[in-house]
Amino acid sequence: MGPVDIRIERGKPPLDAPPAPPRRPRASWHLRANAIVVGWLALTVVVALAGDVLPAPRWLLIHVFLLGAVSTAILIWSEHFTVALLRVRTPPQRGSLARLGVLNAATVAVLAGVSAGPWQVAAAGAALVAGVVLWHAAVLVRLVRQALPGRFGHVIGWYVSAAGALAAGGVLGGLLAAHVWHGAVHERLHAAHAEVNVFGWVGLTVLGTLFTLWPTVLRTRMSDATRRASRVGLRLAAPGLAVAVAGLLADWRWVALAGLAAYAAGGLAVLAPLADALRRKRPHTGASWMLGAAIVWFEVALIADLVVVATRPAAEVAAALEPLLPLVLVGFVAQVLLGSLLHLLPAVLGGGPARFKRNAALLERRWPVRLAALNLGVPLLALPVPRPMTLLGWALVLGSGLAFVALAVTALTRARPAGAVPTAATTMKGDADGSANGSADGSADGSADGRTSWRRSLPAVAGVAVGCLLTAAAVVVATTGDPGPSAVTATGSRTIEVTLSGMSIRPSVIEAPVGTVLTLRVTNTDAQRHDLRLATGERTPMLASGQSATLNLRPLGEPVDGWCTVAGHRAAGMTMRIVPTGIAAASQPRPSSGHNGHGTNAAESTRLDLAAPMSPGWKPYEATLKPAPGGTEHHIEIRADDTVVQEVAPGTRQRVWTFNGTLPGPVLRGKVGDVFVVTFVNAGTMGHGIDFHAGATAPDGPMRTIQPGERLTYRFRAESAGAWLYHCSTMPMTQHIANGMYGAVIIDPPKLPKADREYLLVQGELYLGEPGGDAQVAKIREGEPDGWMFNGTAAGYDHAPLRAEPGERVRIWAVAAGPSSGTALHVVGAPFDTVYKEGAYLLRADDPGGAQVLDLAPAQGGFAELVFPEAGTYPVVDHTMRRAEAGAHGQFQVSAP
Amino acid sequence: MTWWSVVRFLHVIGAALWVGGQLTVSLVVLPPARRLLDDQRRGQVLTAVGRRFGTLTVAVFLPVQLVTGVAIAWHKGVTWASLAEPGYGRILAAKLLLFCAVMAAAGAHGWATGSGRSRLARAMAVTSLVGSLGVVLLATALPAT
Repeated sequence: MGPVDIRIERGKPPLDAPPAPPRRPRASWHLRANAIVVGWLALTVVVALAGDVLPAPRWLLIHVFLLGAVSTAILIWSEHFTVALLRVRTPPQRGSLARLGVLNAATVAVLAGVSAGPWQVAAAGAALVAGVVLWHAAVLVRLVRQALPGRFGHVIGWYVSAAGALAAGGVLGGLLAAHVWHGAVHERLHAAHAEVNVFGWVGLTVLGTLFTLWPTVLRTRMSDATRRASRVGLRLAAPGLAVAVAGLLADWRWVALAGLAAYAAGGLAVLAPLADALRRKRPHTGASWMLGAAIVWFEVALIADLVVVATRPAAEVAAALEPLLPLVLVGFVAQVLLGSLLHLLPAVLGGGPARFKRNAALLERRWPVRLAALNLGVPLLALPVPRPMTLLGWALVLGSGLAFVALAVTALTRARPAGAVPTAATTMKGDADGSANGSADGSADGSADGRTSWRRSLPAVAGVAVGCLLTAAAVVVATTGDPGPSAVTATGSRTIEVTLSGMSIRPSVIEAPVGTVLTLRVTNTDAQRHDLRLATGERTPMLASGQSATLNLRPLGEPVDGWCTVAGHRAAGMTMRIVPTGIAAASQPRPSSGHNGHGTNAAESTRLDLAAPMSPGWKPYEATLKPAPGGTEHHIEIRADDTVVQEVAPGTRQRVWTFNGTLPGPVLRGKVGDVFVVTFVNAGTMGHGIDFHAGATAPDGPMRTIQPGERLTYRFRAESAGAWLYHCSTMPMTQHIANGMYGAVIIDPPKLPKADREYLLVQGELYLGEPGGDAQVAKIREGEPDGWMFNGTAAGYDHAPLRAEPGERVRIWAVAAGPSSGTALHVVGAPFDTVYKEGAYLLRADDPGGAQVLDLAPAQGGFAELVFPEAGTYPVVDHTMRRAEAGAHGQFQVSAP
Repeated sequence: MTWWSVVRFLHVIGAALWVGGQLTVSLVVLPPARRLLDDQRRGQVLTAVGRRFGTLTVAVFLPVQLVTGVAIAWHKGVTWASLAEPGYGRILAAKLLLFCAVMAAAGAHGWATGSGRSRLARAMAVTSLVGSLGVVLLATALPAT
């Protein structure tokens, strides 16, 4: 039997409402559908606990809870309430199930699309959410049309308006996921999306439901003013919210404020009959107090929202609302959910008045404590209090929630008829009775004869035997391979603070007497993630910035090495050593274990043979520069991939770290003023970041290091012309750049004349050896590369010459990626008549002078133009000749077509 | 005193209450119940006690132990691979296996009770009690942190 049916029977017996028709199959269908809600709630807890492991953890937490759990619940219950209140036939179950299925599929699509991509999946999911909720609204409207005029019809208006709000909010969410607009517009969109979903979809639904739920929970009759209050309230709240959303979107602060004020006035109108009921009957149950507290939090959130909208420009509203989230999510939404379930669950569980009473009493057990804990926790979560207080807030809130879950599970277990399907829940009984047998038989002599006693105690004896065997087996497993007690006896203990920061571990050497039991308190004070692993096996988890961990060591016997396991960090100097005093630190050979100990020696002896043929199947990086694509906004996805192996010199293959699997990364080209929206995905095995020199933005956000599997959106407007470098922004940058994480952004100067051919050469250094390995890092730090490369291959364009025709104007763009050396770009046999370097022309074609070199310091860029006088082979080189001879060398093959 | 000591406290107190509860019921509550009550009443009492203890197990003990246990393991930096290593990992693995066996025995007990195999039920019940003492034994063998 549906809870609304129960509500009407129990809540308003004095009125003339006839008892609802029995709807058992429907009720059981609802019970089962609620399992989906419970599933989403469980997932919410998982997401909350998983924290930073997930991409976009905060976003996921909010959306798994609101879009997953709450939206599914609203879809189920608003339809059910509508049917019960209007006393109409239930709509076809197939349709309801289809809507539920589509909503959940759409939710999964949104969650997957936003957190893992591609955005099209998320946008499609959002569109589906909007569609399914409009379908839901249409069904509700059809039910109202079918129904006879009744006392509760007004509630349905709220449900339909709420559905409209989610349709709008879903569309806004889809636009957000698609990154259709950027900057301030994006922020306004975000604010509107949040307002319309929380105050529209959730808020309107709750307000509408309270008209009937509140008096029922108080066990009093509905106020006479209800219908009028509902009509007035809805007429104020729904258009008010629409105006507020429009105002936020259009950046009309006062319009938005007026709309919100109207919405708040509507909310106040709703409160009138609720207060009326309150005057008649004081709340006396947990459910009523929880709902009441939820309404208070709703009003608090609304007032805070009004203040935020009044005092900030629309673009800053979304960010300012962020701290209110716990207040709305926990104080309002979760508390409404708990309060309603507290009231509805006994009815859902059914089983006659006695059972109803028992279940209600069970669920309400100690409700004042739970209520107080939850509502003390909410402000602790919302206010800027010290971290221990925030943790206390979480403990209070989660404790209260878990207490409810435990009681609900108990009630559900109790609901099982005795003797049916015993599970682990009913197991412990026989433990008791088995052992009782044993002891009773031993002591209570004469109560049974000897044989019976023996036979009765047999199972208990068998049980003891099996239990002992199991334990013995476990102990054997546990102790095999045990190194045994350490030969070193503990002589004392010390706790040492260890800090990880700036590619070093401090202190780098710890000295202690033999036998000391050391405890290391390891704190990461760096901006990026580190950990500490000791050669003896102890290790901290990967520590985010500011996190700490404690390592407990065995009594110190031998010297112990420690290092950070993030790729390249050990080689960059993140090592430490624990030395027993009396043993010289240097006398112990450094262990070569660990990922970076391999393949480094081979690199030392490798000599590049640039004249050797390239391997079959090698393809040169396309040096021809394509013209800028049309449009003023360019979307590109760049994936960091640090597992690519490619031929970096004739016959020499090397693992490189890349953007999009190529060395250099993809070329971005546009005009001055163009906007680039880069979705940067870390598909690698370590942290990476990206830094576009062509854009002006605070580095903190977009250039931050993200972990494998994460992504970020980097948006910049190219305000200045030039040939710009982009590169990985993760420390140690020498290694990330030296291993290939760089590329070029070409922004054409205004009125750039057309050239017959345009080429791009990105020059970089080549360091052979295992990326991040000791030997390679040593060479990188010395600035002693094994070679130099144009576009990722040493002497590549000697083997695949660039083409031109005599008399053609050829423009050669160049960017020096370094990391340690620039270039002196020169074409043998053909002087430049045009040189453009770092945003300015040094020489133009009609100037009388000429230029022999385009000189670029590391990270500079520009272009030079020339006309080849006649057919022939013209080398293009870095005129720092040792670099030319070590690979910074290519050829132009100039011939008639 | 950190939050991790609270987590460990919950884990230890959960185990103490569960194992202690079984022992108390077996050694303190049931002998007098068997002496003082007639068969029918005793059946009722045993059923009620067992059902209540079982409910507490599933609703409180299991979730608390699993959540705090996983949290402590995560905090210690335990990985799947480290479970195979001798010492801490191996002991923890053995303890987890024994715990699974205890839960299986408890489940078998529940099934046997429901299907009227009272002797098997009793054997399984004692197995689970003794096994859970073994779990505590292995827990004390884990190096202290």
